[in-house]
Amino acid sequence: MRLSPVTARGDSPLSSGSSSPVASAGRAEAWAGVRDALTTVVPSIVAYGIVWGGLARQAGLSLGELVAMCLLVTAGTAQFVALPMIQSGAPAWLLVVTTYIVNLRHYLMAASLAPHFAHLSRGRLALLAHGVTDESYALTMARYAEHPPHPAYYAGSAATTYLAWYVGATAGGILGGRIPDPHRYGLDFVFPAVFIAILARTIQARWQWAVAAVATVVALAVKATLGGTWHIALAGLGASALGIWLAPAAGARGPEAGGGRAR
Amino acid sequence: MRLGLLLTFAAMGLATYLTRAPLLFALARRRLPDWVERYFAALPIALITALALPLVLLAPGNAVLGWVTDLPAAAAVAVLARRTGHLLIAVAGGVVLVALLRALLG
Repeated sequence: MRLSPVTARGDSPLSSGSSSPVASAGRAEAWAGVRDALTTVVPSIVAYGIVWGGLARQAGLSLGELVAMCLLVTAGTAQFVALPMIQSGAPAWLLVVTTYIVNLRHYLMAASLAPHFAHLSRGRLALLAHGVTDESYALTMARYAEHPPHPAYYAGSAATTYLAWYVGATAGGILGGRIPDPHRYGLDFVFPAVFIAILARTIQARWQWAVAAVATVVALAVKATLGGTWHIALAGLGASALGIWLAPAAGARGPEAGGGRAR
Repeated sequence: MRLGLLLTFAAMGLATYLTRAPLLFALARRRLPDWVERYFAALPIALITALALPLVLLAPGNAVLGWVTDLPAAAAVAVLARRTGHLLIAVAGGVVLVALLRALLG
């Protein structure tokens, strides 16, 4: 995918950053997104793609079918959940409903990204919408807390994580499950590590600690009782409400996460 | 290629897109009320915390071993990230530590 420089900067009402030279900033921000994804989440996404590709073959998908599934479904967690259902011959509607439920958390991520993408055309927004994933969201919000928000950064990180997933899944489909367990090499730990590192860098003010604490309690309680991925959407929805009372007013705030420090 | 399966995948993709696109379109062009902006200011921390902490604290498999290996590594990641400000250093340090602890204790 070629990333053309985005000409309009997503000037968020939440950010008070000064604008940078626009056209060259697009390309630089896109590359920053590619670089940050490559150096953090990509190795693990490839590893999990390989695991998924192997499981997909075991679930009876042909190589062509599993590649088609990646291209059409575009959501790793949902694809993992779907495999045992396909294997056991679950009806199509159940697969579709399960996919929707597993992906509900994207509503919140899209809502939180949207204010940074004002001035973008409908076509660009429609394309960028495909890139809303846990990893690209976390990397992008961490970036926007410390730099003027630019849609190209998000596009670069999202395209890179997608490519990593396709490469991994295809390789796994070809290898057909003859691969080692990512757990042995600590590659499963990359995902929580990236999220925790972003939190540790972002959280400074007391209200941010409060939000994180409440989100932790709610997420653990929901995960322990309901299982699945409900805890992400419910803790996100619930703990953010603290922000209504505790977060400083938009005008008084620097970068929107409330003063993450520069690298 | 089984046509029915491809159609199912396409419908799953549509269901996924329906969770991603609507609010991106609805909220990109709108000046939001101040309380909604404050809500959104808290959203990244709440969501990323909800993604991360259960992965560490409710690790699948051997829960006790998970705590002994993953919890110290998570603490190391947090300290490294705060001290250096670099994601790569913090994540790499955490992965190396967790792999070592698992090899030693697992």
